[in-house]
Amino acid sequence: MSTRAPGEPATRPAEGPSLRELVAAVAYEANRTVGGGLVSIELLRRRFTTRSWIDAADHGVFIAISRFTPGTVVLAYVVLLGWRFHRWLGALLALVVASVPASLIVFSLSATLARIDRYAVVRVLLAVGILVASLLVLSSAWHLLRPYLPKPSRLRTFIVAGIAIVLVVLGATPVRVLLVAAIVSSVLPLPESTK
Amino acid sequence: MSPLVIYLLLLKATVTSFAGMGSLPQIRQDFVETRRAMTDEQLSQAVLVGRATIGPMGAYVVAVGYFAGGPLGATAGWLAMITPALVAIPLLTLIRRWLHLPRIRAAVDGVIIASAVLLIGSGASLAIDAVQQLMRLKS
Repeated sequence: MSTRAPGEPATRPAEGPSLRELVAAVAYEANRTVGGGLVSIELLRRRFTTRSWIDAADHGVFIAISRFTPGTVVLAYVVLLGWRFHRWLGALLALVVASVPASLIVFSLSATLARIDRYAVVRVLLAVGILVASLLVLSSAWHLLRPYLPKPSRLRTFIVAGIAIVLVVLGATPVRVLLVAAIVSSVLPLPESTK
Repeated sequence: MSPLVIYLLLLKATVTSFAGMGSLPQIRQDFVETRRAMTDEQLSQAVLVGRATIGPMGAYVVAVGYFAGGPLGATAGWLAMITPALVAIPLLTLIRRWLHLPRIRAAVDGVIIASAVLLIGSGASLAIDAVQQLMRLKS
């Protein structure tokens, strides 16, 4: 685990990617799968943690903030990655490379009125792609939960997760689920180690 | 419809949503029902294209912009999609300032745990959708 606060900029250049590495990593990982931005976030997490550019604590905080940011979650996530290492330039470039390729494809398909879903082979490929994407999303959930499962935080985790599950089943919006989870978690007794 | 109006309407929809397709009801209300700038069929086409494309599903607003205002409308849609993401920077600055406080840290931990629960829901929903698609193709 890093000793600095999550989201704090790296003090030594060796700790993070160069601007070029950052842009290349975001452009590649954010644009190589169907299934939505949550899959891209998991791919970005793997790339950035493998290279020790971010740790699990950074990723957790970035996920929390991205969830509370209006709009598309993955775009907020890449903005935070860019900001973390190269401030505004990194944030803006990461945002552009994460959104332009998909936007160009959407624009092209809309402009040509291509009905890609009429081809059976395309539908099969999309379904398989989404199935793989679902596994990546579940893997992302596991990596978020894992640090909270050992004692002494286990009971707190089960309580917060249980309440979140009930709210999801009742049809609460994601923001309400997150807000309630934040309030419940902050009022529960703190483990001795964190007081 | 002018690109500026398209941008503002789509921005209203993206700023008030917190997930890729969360803006859909507001967009339908503004573009299909109130202003009649596009049809339900075009909106469905936009959603389909957004889902079938690499990257964020929220990119379907580019297609909405295109159907409502051509290439300039598509550009307005792209801008409306990326603008809200910049809000993450002040949020990070705020959280970083208070994260050393145990109660704030606990609140952030709660959000992370709830995010994992939401991810499990999204992952399960994606998997069910994919299996249903495959079964429909098989039958």
